[in-house]
Amino acid sequence: MVSGNMPAFSAYQATQQTGISATTWTKITFDTKVFDTNSNFSSSRFTPTVAGYYQVNGSIQLTGANAAYYVAGAFYKNGSSYAQFTLANGNTNYYCQSTGSSVIYFNGTTDYVEVYAFGTALGSWSAYNTQTGTYFNACLLRAA
Amino acid sequence: MLYDKIMALYPSLTQQDFLTVIKLQNDSDGKGDYIAKWEHPTLARPTEQQLDGVK
Repeated sequence: MVSGNMPAFSAYQATQQTGISATTWTKITFDTKVFDTNSNFSSSRFTPTVAGYYQVNGSIQLTGANAAYYVAGAFYKNGSSYAQFTLANGNTNYYCQSTGSSVIYFNGTTDYVEVYAFGTALGSWSAYNTQTGTYFNACLLRAA
Repeated sequence: MLYDKIMALYPSLTQQDFLTVIKLQNDSDGKGDYIAKWEHPTLARPTEQQLDGVK
């Protein structure tokens, strides 16, 4: 049972991130917090200070391609790809959204997680900066 | 763009290659795109000189 000041946060991208190179895993920025119960989310990175197992969720929505394409997101733990989101297909008529979730262990000191995104096609991408399109959240499931 | 330069050097590469044996990355820290992984079985990792030479 989660109680007391156990870490949980929710954030989304309000300021659009532009110039995301195609076919390049790019760190997604989340500049607006909905809540952050233990002040563990900063610079688009979640570094919980309570060791344990966390449910981590993310969604990225990209726009800007001019041909058939697909996008994927991923959780990066400590700078390395940890769990990839769904691979989403899109076209010129709607924005492509990739979502993912994972249960990740954090040591409560140095472990952190970030969200990266990847989009095919030529040119560059922009994130679709809405609370419903590009978001990142997590909460403690079980302390270590 | 780094991807375009690599494709100019190695036009046979596919999108699948960039999801498996090659990883380009950008940490949104102002340092730009870079090659985070190059494990292609036959094509050598391009040098900075080669990349800089692509127009």
